[in-house]
Amino acid sequence: MSIFVGTVSPDGRPAGCRGIAVTSPDHLKTVTVYVPMATSRDVLTNIAANKRLAIVGTYPPDHSTMQLKGTTTAVRLASDDEAEFLDYRIERFADMLHAIGIPRRNARAINHWPAFAIDMKVDEIFEQTPGPNAGMPLR
Amino acid sequence: MNLPLNELSRCFQGVVPSIVVTADAAGTPNVTFVSQVHQVDDKHVALSCQFFNKTRRNLDENPRAWVEVHDPLTLQTYRLRLRFLRSEKSGPLFDSMSMRIQAIASHTGMTGIFRLIAADVFEVESAEKNEGFLADVADDPDDHVTVEGVRHEVRGLQFVSEAINRAGCLEALLDAVLESLDKYFGFEHTMILLEDECTKRLVTMASRGYGESGVGAEVAPGEGFIGTVARNRRVLRMSGLTTELRYGRTIRREHGAVTPEVPLPGLPDAQSVLVIPLTIGERLVGVISAEDRDPMRFGEWDETYLQVIANQIALGVDRMMAAEDPEPAAVVSAAAPKAGGARRTFTFYKNDDCVFVDGDYLIRNVPGRILWKLLGDFQREGRTEFSNRELRLDESLGLPAIKDNLESRLILLRKRLDEKCGDVRIVPAGRGRFELQVSAAVELVEK
Repeated sequence: MSIFVGTVSPDGRPAGCRGIAVTSPDHLKTVTVYVPMATSRDVLTNIAANKRLAIVGTYPPDHSTMQLKGTTTAVRLASDDEAEFLDYRIERFADMLHAIGIPRRNARAINHWPAFAIDMKVDEIFEQTPGPNAGMPLR
Repeated sequence: MNLPLNELSRCFQGVVPSIVVTADAAGTPNVTFVSQVHQVDDKHVALSCQFFNKTRRNLDENPRAWVEVHDPLTLQTYRLRLRFLRSEKSGPLFDSMSMRIQAIASHTGMTGIFRLIAADVFEVESAEKNEGFLADVADDPDDHVTVEGVRHEVRGLQFVSEAINRAGCLEALLDAVLESLDKYFGFEHTMILLEDECTKRLVTMASRGYGESGVGAEVAPGEGFIGTVARNRRVLRMSGLTTELRYGRTIRREHGAVTPEVPLPGLPDAQSVLVIPLTIGERLVGVISAEDRDPMRFGEWDETYLQVIANQIALGVDRMMAAEDPEPAAVVSAAAPKAGGARRTFTFYKNDDCVFVDGDYLIRNVPGRILWKLLGDFQREGRTEFSNRELRLDESLGLPAIKDNLESRLILLRKRLDEKCGDVRIVPAGRGRFELQVSAAVELVEK
């Protein structure tokens, strides 16, 4: 899954960054998205002032896409015992890109540790696969 | 650091989809992927608006957008902070972006469904490298044009130009061009299609790097990449082709369309294409197409010099075609001739495979043998309908097993008949089939 996180500043300036992984303990009522510390400065700055968050996940081989929108409930530094999980997600991302012709080394080069974990309460879920149903609410 | 957009040209080739973040007036962000980020000039980009319902509404409320683009070779990302200016629904920018989408749509059977709604134009407030995105940056391939490379390519242009000038016939001209492109420019998979004035379809007249499959293929205007280029008279350069096609196929799946896809001409696993129309002024002569498995094979520089070559080919082909068929197109497409009292005597000289009609030379070699077979079947059995396949299976015709150029031979035969003997015509009757129309009494003599 290719993940991207979107935020907006109080004066309306959007900013985003790539996410490394998303987990949910309760069938997408809440989620945790992991973002690299190296590239998430603008996102975290925005979240500090505006807790609205959008997370898009897409499956590149067929562009199946879903967007979650919600409210940030917590931001924390990912713990060391989560590092292995993020390494695993990067490897699966590399496999996926490799399948569509992008070398694994490119995905492996993505800086993903240390990372922040952003907890979000999911308010809305949208279908976003390219096509006429893009934008349809799923929940 | 603010980067010039020209330094990000690889990012705008669409190999890796870009990401756009917008926000509504209430401060809720929205993230979506965009298939095209098109560089308009050094301060503006345009995004393809296809299904951006929410993005579109957000931009009306808040013109600011954030776009992240990827270098397809290194996966390094760059961040553009944008301000929305306007939507263009017509004009050169729209046409240019639309043609790319039309080509994909046609190729995936999504014509009319997968289409550009608008080219949304943005001012680029800043463009920055996403520092820290890559922990260990992959080697950055040197794609700059070197002086040595330019010299080599200018020399190549000279050779191609000479080959066109020296060519004594259409086939030789086309073959020489493709050979030169391979030899001097490394274009290993190329084809040239010429417009058939009768059917208005593009017919593959010469190919290189495909074997038999690339020759004789037909493409209708607007069909696939080649047909789209022919119809629009515009260059089409596409990179990361499989990505683009996956995107098109996703929309098709979502929409439930059932129109069959046009098979990709040439390489089944091509990842980049460069298709250029051959035109004389506004008049289409044909199309030259180059393909490669390297997703980044064709850059702006390749497009530039191949356009120069395309102009030369068009002039050369036009010169050849004009010499062979002086009749105007309206005569070629006229209704079938009606039977009259005319009598035609065809003489076949076995020594040199020559056919004469009423004492005048008509045609020789393989097209001559083809004509002799058609006339013989017509006289013996009254047959008027034939197929290309049966000709290919007829060993007496001497068609080569590979790259037989049957279509071009039939075109040549048809043109010669139109010019020399309007009472006997070969008229296309669908893909791979044709009809022999005879409106005179025919006598066959073999010597």
